[in-house]
Amino acid sequence: MPQSTDLLQGTLDLLILQTLALEPMHGWGVAQRIQQLSQDVLQIGQGSLYPALYRLEYKGWIRSEWQITENNRRAKYYRLTQTGKKQLATELASWDRLSLAIASVLGRATEASS
Amino acid sequence: MTSELLTRLRFLISSKRRSELDEEIEFHLEQAITTRIAAGMDPAEARRQALIEFGGIESARGQCEQQRPGWWIGTVMQDVHYAFRGFGRNPLFTFSVLITLALGIGATTAVFSVVDRILFRPLPYADPGRIVSLGFVHSLERQEFVMGRFYVEWEKDQTPFSALAAQSTMVHNCDLVENDPEQLGCISFQASFLPLFGISPALGRNFLPEEDRPNEPPVVMISYGLWKGHYNGDPHILDRMINVDGNPARIVGVLPKDFQFPTLEAADIVTPFVLDATIQQKVNGGFGDPERVFARLRSGVSLEQAYAQMQPLFNGDLKWFPPFAKNETHLSIRTLRDREMQEARPVAWILFGFVLAVLLIACANVAGLMMARGAGRQRELAVRSAIGASRGRLIRQALTEALVLSFAGGLAGLAIAQALVMVFVRLAPTGIPFVGKAHLDLRIAVFAALVSCLCGVIFGLAAALQKPGLAALNARASMSRNHAFLRRSLVTAQIAISIILLSGAALLLRSFTKIEEQNLGLQTAGVLTVKVALPWWRYNTNQKVMDFYLRLESSLRRLPGTRAVGMTDSIPPGGWESDFRYSDLAVQGKPRGVPGIGGTVVGRSVTPDYFRALNILIVRGRNFTDEDRTGDENEVILSRLLAERLFPGEEPIGKRFLPDSVRGRGAIVVGLADNVKNSGLTEPNDPEMYTLRRSVSGDWDGNHLMVIVDSAMLVAAIEPWVRSEVASIDRTVPIEMEPLNQSLNRLADRPRFETTLLGFFALTGLLLAVVGLYGLVAFMTTQRAQEIGVRMALGATRANILHLIAKDGLRIVLVGLGVGLGTAVAVSRMLKTLLFQVTTYDPLTYIAVPLLLSLVALVAILIPARAGTRVEPAITLRAE
Repeated sequence: MPQSTDLLQGTLDLLILQTLALEPMHGWGVAQRIQQLSQDVLQIGQGSLYPALYRLEYKGWIRSEWQITENNRRAKYYRLTQTGKKQLATELASWDRLSLAIASVLGRATEASS
Repeated sequence: MTSELLTRLRFLISSKRRSELDEEIEFHLEQAITTRIAAGMDPAEARRQALIEFGGIESARGQCEQQRPGWWIGTVMQDVHYAFRGFGRNPLFTFSVLITLALGIGATTAVFSVVDRILFRPLPYADPGRIVSLGFVHSLERQEFVMGRFYVEWEKDQTPFSALAAQSTMVHNCDLVENDPEQLGCISFQASFLPLFGISPALGRNFLPEEDRPNEPPVVMISYGLWKGHYNGDPHILDRMINVDGNPARIVGVLPKDFQFPTLEAADIVTPFVLDATIQQKVNGGFGDPERVFARLRSGVSLEQAYAQMQPLFNGDLKWFPPFAKNETHLSIRTLRDREMQEARPVAWILFGFVLAVLLIACANVAGLMMARGAGRQRELAVRSAIGASRGRLIRQALTEALVLSFAGGLAGLAIAQALVMVFVRLAPTGIPFVGKAHLDLRIAVFAALVSCLCGVIFGLAAALQKPGLAALNARASMSRNHAFLRRSLVTAQIAISIILLSGAALLLRSFTKIEEQNLGLQTAGVLTVKVALPWWRYNTNQKVMDFYLRLESSLRRLPGTRAVGMTDSIPPGGWESDFRYSDLAVQGKPRGVPGIGGTVVGRSVTPDYFRALNILIVRGRNFTDEDRTGDENEVILSRLLAERLFPGEEPIGKRFLPDSVRGRGAIVVGLADNVKNSGLTEPNDPEMYTLRRSVSGDWDGNHLMVIVDSAMLVAAIEPWVRSEVASIDRTVPIEMEPLNQSLNRLADRPRFETTLLGFFALTGLLLAVVGLYGLVAFMTTQRAQEIGVRMALGATRANILHLIAKDGLRIVLVGLGVGLGTAVAVSRMLKTLLFQVTTYDPLTYIAVPLLLSLVALVAILIPARAGTRVEPAITLRAE
């Protein structure tokens, strides 16, 4: 198991929004998806996932509703709202700027795009 | 954005149900376990792993809860509840803090309300800081005045002022003649007067500059009060013709409602102030009419510069003065505030200082109490911190407690302030401007709230910043060395400050008793003074005035019980008196006095019964007689003081003054009267000369006439009789009556006011300081309960223990006493102007005050110390 990396402050929100941008999902699904997509490098503390979901919901960026899963189980699904989409776009843009800046500080600007 | 706001609002109102989150977490764990089982893990292990991976469920739940907008409001309510429970458990602490805060805040607010107008609030004029009062001052007139002749030159030649305006010297009685004549106050000012103060009339217009010239059609402005009261606020009042003192005049304007004359006088009718250069050079011996002058400094010109620039003009004017008057006359320019407040400012500052000191003591008290509470709660705080309360949460909790306390204290303080202001207003003497109108206003309420919040924040933090060390968990609560030292210093400071306050108050009290006890030289009981204001336009000759008063005299003499009816132009010991210069007296056969030296002499023009009515002793020679009143000779009676100065070691009776000496006449001394207090209650006596008011019309000029009635009947009983006697002569003249006792009492109003107020604050300070001392000793005793237990178990007697505890407290008191006395002696010099026949080093004060404080402090120490000795060693030792 590769060493997991601590999430940068604030990036958890970005990851959640990005994950939910693909399709509505429940909390467990979000955790799994982030882990899968990052090839197990990013392992989010599942305990801190829920406060983040709640925070995003209170901000109005995502919305939740109870649905039935494929195994006939009741679960709370989160979906991105209109404001959430806009927020994702701005956060992505600022993330790009940040990573580019960090890369150039580290002298690896050429590889930054990879 | 709005949708976000709406979502927030929605969540604020309906918080998510907790079970939803539980179900969500449950689902999450279920999935995690299922996945693991599917991967071949045994169910128990799968569950364990899943739980580990999830982390703390309870903390996740807590964090989710904290995401809710407005979550903190709930914790504040929690804190408030917690604070109230704490107060309930500790009523003595709560009560002491509340009382301290309420007294501190209440006293500060009330006094601030009173001194605000005197010290801080801008005067109700445009840019009032640049308005000055200017003119000559003289030993006989300490308020600036200018003679008309010079004023017209100043108007032309002055440089430092952008505007100059004159007003007549004082409000005079005038009659509004309608069906029933009504007596009002009249004053006049120039057309430039209102613009200088930045005031425009409420109705109509200001005077025009041409109306300041002679022979213009007469116009008047009236006060808002007269318009609303007498004319019922008639909107068509303008251009109405009214009759003032028999002359018709047209109303052109109404003064604004809250307009205040810079001399603080009240007037109903204003006429233009007519100043004509050629006339002013002729009247009043070529000097012109006296007037009050106000001016506005040009921007950038300071008071000192203005003084320097006016000096040459003033020096030029001095040439006109008779030689003796030159030394006595000076130029004076002072700010309008100084002019209006007169001597009230030092009193106001001292009062303010006293109250700040009380507030300081109160603050120290609250700080001490809070610290003691904090020390007593170390264990509790440590426990809360150990079970997960963050540092910030603890500080917030402490802050909430402090704020709740200060808020309650502030409310109680406002109530106390309101009560105090009412007391102040009742006590307020006339000499201190505006006190009678003081009331709590919004700004002052805000001020109190700020003070109370500040107290709360500071003390709350002081309590919260004590780091709850782990040691506190298992050790008994103990006060750390630093805090012990801080608290001791606080109490020492409190005692020192209260010594200063007490000494100040004691000095004033001593001075006040001296004022009250002094021998005035006259009797006041059962004497009624009657003032009749004769309208001068009807009583326009001395003959008419004399006839009126002689008729009144003989009718009052016939009243039952009357012992004496005297008439005079003034009454000692204070108020208006007709002073003249000592050097003006010329005795036959003696060289004339040097002009400008010798000060002033009080002159009084009286009838023979004056001495009988006031029971003033004739110590030598004889009193005036009724025969003298019709004779040709001018008799005078000298006060002992005057006789001793004029005729040292000689027989004064029979001495003559030169024909031009006493009021333009010669006179013979027939008697010597005992000295009477005649320069107010607190100033040294002036020499005094009584001239006989004969029944000759020439002796009846002047409008200050008073009738004194000494009666065997009660004063209240003869008042209606006097009133009807006056009415039977002329039913239209207004009449003012007052028992002499009462007017004398009023003279002492001001020292009484100062003494009461400062005494009250000194006692408040003492009370608070003693509460602080008591609290400290009681706290130290409980802290040392275990030590005491051990000592007693080892055989210490109760007396030993008492000695041990009391020694500590006494040391604090002694240090406080020393520091306080030293400072008090230094600081009390500021009281000098308020003291009468008491030095600022008054030994009695500096013996009595420390004694009083030590006595009270001893009680405050002994009560808790005795409680400490009743400790049962068996109990305290086992309590561990």
